[in-house]
Amino acid sequence: MQTLASEPASKVEKVDQDFIDRVIAGQNGRPGALLSILEKVQDHHPKKYLPEETLEYIAARADIPLSQVYSVVTFYALFNQEPQGRNTICICRGTACHTRGSRNLLERLMVDLGLDGSHEESADKIAASTPDGKYTVRTVACFGQCALAPVVEVNHSIFGHMNEQALHREVEALAKERASQ
Amino acid sequence: MKPIRDLNAFANIRMAGNSKLMPFKPRIAVGMGTCGSGNGAEGVYHAFADAIDRRGLDIQLARVGCFGFCGEEPLVNIWIPGRPLVILHRVQSNHVDQILDELAMGNIPTELALCKIEEWDHLTAPIKYGTGYGSLPNWNEIPFFRGQKKIVLRNCGLISPDDIEEYFAVGGYRSLYQVLIDNTPDQVIEQIKAAKLRGRGGAGFATGQKWEFLRRSHSDRKYIICNADEGDPGAYMNRNEIESDPHSLLEGMLIGGFVMGATQGIIYIRAEYPLAVHRLNLAVDQAKQYGLLGEDILGRGFNFNLELVEGAGAFVCGEETALISSLEGRSGRPRPRPPFPAHKGLWGYPTNINNVETWYNIAPIVAKGAAWFTETGSAKSSGTKVFSLVGKVKNTGLVEMPLGTPLRTFVYDVGEGGSDGRAVKSVQTGGPSGGCIPQEMFDTPVDYETLGKLGSIMGSGGMVVMDDDNCMVDVARYFIEFTHSESCGKCIPCRVGLDKSLRILNQLVHGKAKEEDLNDLDELSRMIRDTSLCGLGQSAPNPVLTTMRHFRHEFEDHIRAHRCRAGVCQDLALSPCENSCPLHMNIPRFLQLYKEGRFEEAFESVFMDNPLPASTGRVCQHPCDDRCRRKAIDESVNMREVHRVIADSILMSDRFEEMANRIAAKRQPPTGKKVAVAGAGPTGLTTAFYLSLLGHDVTVFDSHEAAGGMLRYALPEYRLPKAVLDREIEIIRRVGVRFVFNTRVGEEVSLNDLEAQFDSVFLSIGTWKEAWVYLPGTELKGVAPALLFLEAVDKGQAPALGRRVVVIGGGNAAIDSARTALRLGSAVTIIYRRERKDMPAIKEEIEAAEQEGAHFVYLATPHRIVGENGAVKAIEVAKTRLGEFDSSGRRRPITTEEIQSFKCDSVILAVGEAVDRDFCRASGLAIKENGTLEVNRYTLETSRSKFYAGGDLITGASNVSNAMGYGKKAARFIDQRLVGAARFYELFPTFEYDRTLPEQPTEIRRHHPHSRPAAERVKGFQEAVLALSPDEAHEEACRCLRCDIRESGAFAPDLVEVQ
Repeated sequence: MQTLASEPASKVEKVDQDFIDRVIAGQNGRPGALLSILEKVQDHHPKKYLPEETLEYIAARADIPLSQVYSVVTFYALFNQEPQGRNTICICRGTACHTRGSRNLLERLMVDLGLDGSHEESADKIAASTPDGKYTVRTVACFGQCALAPVVEVNHSIFGHMNEQALHREVEALAKERASQ
Repeated sequence: MKPIRDLNAFANIRMAGNSKLMPFKPRIAVGMGTCGSGNGAEGVYHAFADAIDRRGLDIQLARVGCFGFCGEEPLVNIWIPGRPLVILHRVQSNHVDQILDELAMGNIPTELALCKIEEWDHLTAPIKYGTGYGSLPNWNEIPFFRGQKKIVLRNCGLISPDDIEEYFAVGGYRSLYQVLIDNTPDQVIEQIKAAKLRGRGGAGFATGQKWEFLRRSHSDRKYIICNADEGDPGAYMNRNEIESDPHSLLEGMLIGGFVMGATQGIIYIRAEYPLAVHRLNLAVDQAKQYGLLGEDILGRGFNFNLELVEGAGAFVCGEETALISSLEGRSGRPRPRPPFPAHKGLWGYPTNINNVETWYNIAPIVAKGAAWFTETGSAKSSGTKVFSLVGKVKNTGLVEMPLGTPLRTFVYDVGEGGSDGRAVKSVQTGGPSGGCIPQEMFDTPVDYETLGKLGSIMGSGGMVVMDDDNCMVDVARYFIEFTHSESCGKCIPCRVGLDKSLRILNQLVHGKAKEEDLNDLDELSRMIRDTSLCGLGQSAPNPVLTTMRHFRHEFEDHIRAHRCRAGVCQDLALSPCENSCPLHMNIPRFLQLYKEGRFEEAFESVFMDNPLPASTGRVCQHPCDDRCRRKAIDESVNMREVHRVIADSILMSDRFEEMANRIAAKRQPPTGKKVAVAGAGPTGLTTAFYLSLLGHDVTVFDSHEAAGGMLRYALPEYRLPKAVLDREIEIIRRVGVRFVFNTRVGEEVSLNDLEAQFDSVFLSIGTWKEAWVYLPGTELKGVAPALLFLEAVDKGQAPALGRRVVVIGGGNAAIDSARTALRLGSAVTIIYRRERKDMPAIKEEIEAAEQEGAHFVYLATPHRIVGENGAVKAIEVAKTRLGEFDSSGRRRPITTEEIQSFKCDSVILAVGEAVDRDFCRASGLAIKENGTLEVNRYTLETSRSKFYAGGDLITGASNVSNAMGYGKKAARFIDQRLVGAARFYELFPTFEYDRTLPEQPTEIRRHHPHSRPAAERVKGFQEAVLALSPDEAHEEACRCLRCDIRESGAFAPDLVEVQ
């Protein structure tokens, strides 16, 4: 491992630096490990995202050009460059879900959470968070749960045969859970 | 665990597995694929574990994968030694005690049992479970599994995916062992080639040939890769295969690695499949422990390592060069080929990439031989393919069928038709790279070549069924939106072309596209297809090209009529109810006006949208009910009944005069143009009303002595009191419409006369020709067609029916005839050739007839009518059975030999009405094959200048609101032609009313109108169904969710702008 002496001090916290160093070391210099490193580091972050300074630190420590790191992070849907909400609601936009009305679910959810609905023209992939950091709404191309369409994932639990009302209730339940904590 | 190094150790593991799979005690296995878990399988498993523990039972509990019938999950297998394995479906935690109780007595819970398996061929070994449970069908006797052949899914749902020993028990890793012992890699490749196995990822390249490429390339390092980046939306077979049977994948790759000379394997799997990743990791760990991965595998000196890499959510990584790029730690952008991966792949070394399912076919081919494999499938495509049958189909799940099976079999036999009995419109195969195949082409065999010819592809196996609620323009847009956002951006045709395509499709769904956009879209699509760098771009236009080819009329509707019949494209409709209404009534508006207590304005709103509101308020088929979004909460809003209340509250009150005059005062200054309308039925009345309001001089001709058509002469008084109809017609008269009765157009007055005297002519003479069944005995006294019978009763000339009446048919005329006959004092039997749910009559009417004592005989068709002295004595009917599905989504009745006889004094034939072919032929106008008039579907112009036509005359027998919808449309285009300007919508008043979204839906349930007691109402012709009370109607109006208010806060465009 090269010395950091000549490099400017990273804005990444020391404990996080240690974690990243361990992750990189765990790959044993395996070529092509960048995706795995990024996945682990993102997962470690309490807000499940990769801040810019983290990317810079990874690039320096793994000896990968920052341009390549940036290219990978912006290419894959899995990587977040924005902090994620405490609750993640993921709407499946697969074909079966689409034919069974997942677009309406998504639109209703965005309205319910006060998120901007002006995504319509461009967006298949959505990852939007409420300003209070409570909720993130995402879409996924397909969960592969097509027989249960339409499908919504709320904090990693799959809900099949969803409708607007049921989804509304789930969101309300989340709000209450948070409030009671 | 010591690694297996010899045959003895191998056999021991197999025995150990056997004792788990078939222990000397009952075994309960819960299906715990993601689909099972999503339906509550976790809870079921724990409930079993707790109960078994609590009761101290000696039962083996296991977790297995999915047996394929995902729509019926959670599936649970129960097995008692010596008996068949029984598959239970839709098992919930609260069933557990009952299941264990039954099991304790050696029984099975019959009501939960789906099917049984007596023996199972895992292909690598057979398993005999046992015999018994006589009445329970075998697994392949129930529709969903009939015809399926499980090669890839041979182990799924039967063995534990978490226990390598159970895989051994069903002959797992034997093929690998054989290959290692034989040590003849070239022969294995020859075998794969002879089996004609083709890549199951979609492109269908010959697997044996691909393997040979890698085997022949010389390098000290070679890679084999399993592509498990199953990114096609709507396809999930790979997820299920890995979750249910991960070791089959490992065995396939191990065999591949050995024969191709590779020592390193990689499985590139979607991160969105956490359970599959987990089980695969577990399988790899176990395989290492048992000496199946690593050094000196099975003691045969073969070294092989396997690594799992999780994809990070990029569809394009399914493309092999992009996948390799992703494995190398870069963004997944494809590169041109050649060089092919077999020569220069991962890190520049020779590489083979196969799809998950391809690897699953390897062990069975090695075990059973190439000849066995080619027995299944079509000439060019051997074996089976797993499809995910999902969308608007009754049975959903994974279906493994021989290649070459017709699409019809998937949809109608395995899938058992559309969901909720709806007619299926098309099937989308191949995901974003595939296309939509219309119902007319369901005979298409599903194989690589045939689907390709139709512009689709087989792809990875997604099969999404669509019905009339799905808009094909929206589907095309959906897929382009997907490929547009998944395009890696490397090549211009894909990056820019898909963006341009999406813009055009956006214009289409917003109703802003122009005619020439279709040509641009077509040209653009072909360009993208022909010039893109990789498979993503080359196939991305397929969904657009196929929908434009097979569903062009839907694209044209969006452009020319600004209509989306499916009601999906929200910008083209005020609300789902408005879109479904043939008259396009502004339903949310009249509900809101009524809610605000503004009854007169509510009436004005209703009457201007629909000049027969009290009649339709009683007899409309109410398509709005089906579309109402309130259904997702409880039940749809009873819109029809509210508009009946609104109409009655004015028409039948002392405010009638005032309101009639208010509407009549809307008449525009005279235009001096004269219009003739042939037929004073609902269609003609509607056209006449609007044209007269627009200032034209309108004369309506009718062969009857009064106006109303079918409403007056075919609808019995108890459904529609004629006093109500008279009031509506009075208003139509007051706006200036003149009637000439007892005059038949085509006879008393010719079309030429009309042409000479009028500026425009609208033909709407309906379908008054009774369809007739030709069977012996129809000439007997006492046989009558329904319309003549109903008309006679209406005119007070009811025939003597006798004591017993048989009505043939299942439509509204049949039910009307039956209920009328009951009121005349006869006992009534209705004979219908299909089942109750297939009856076209309004459901409430069928129920009412049942309550009133009509006797129904289903699945029977008349055979002959038996007479005595020239009069009806009995009718003989042949039983029918239901055959294949027809285009209406119902099963076709097939007559059997079984004859049944019913004594009766009269027979009423209500088998449908048809257009008067003689009139149509004599008219000299272009007609269609079925005898109806041919018109321009957008303007309703016939082939003769000045002549327009609408209603049943152009559609065949339909219903009142459909007919009126045509009348309204015709008025608009006739007016436009007469005055040379589009001013139709200027007629309609605007209203100011509350346009804020209700915060919470009210909790009140739907109000159903009350009927008078059956015993009482059957005594006479008094109206049977009472209107809602004003309070009930108000509550009903409050139930509206106001879909007309857009969520962004903006108000939906008014109809005026939309059209």
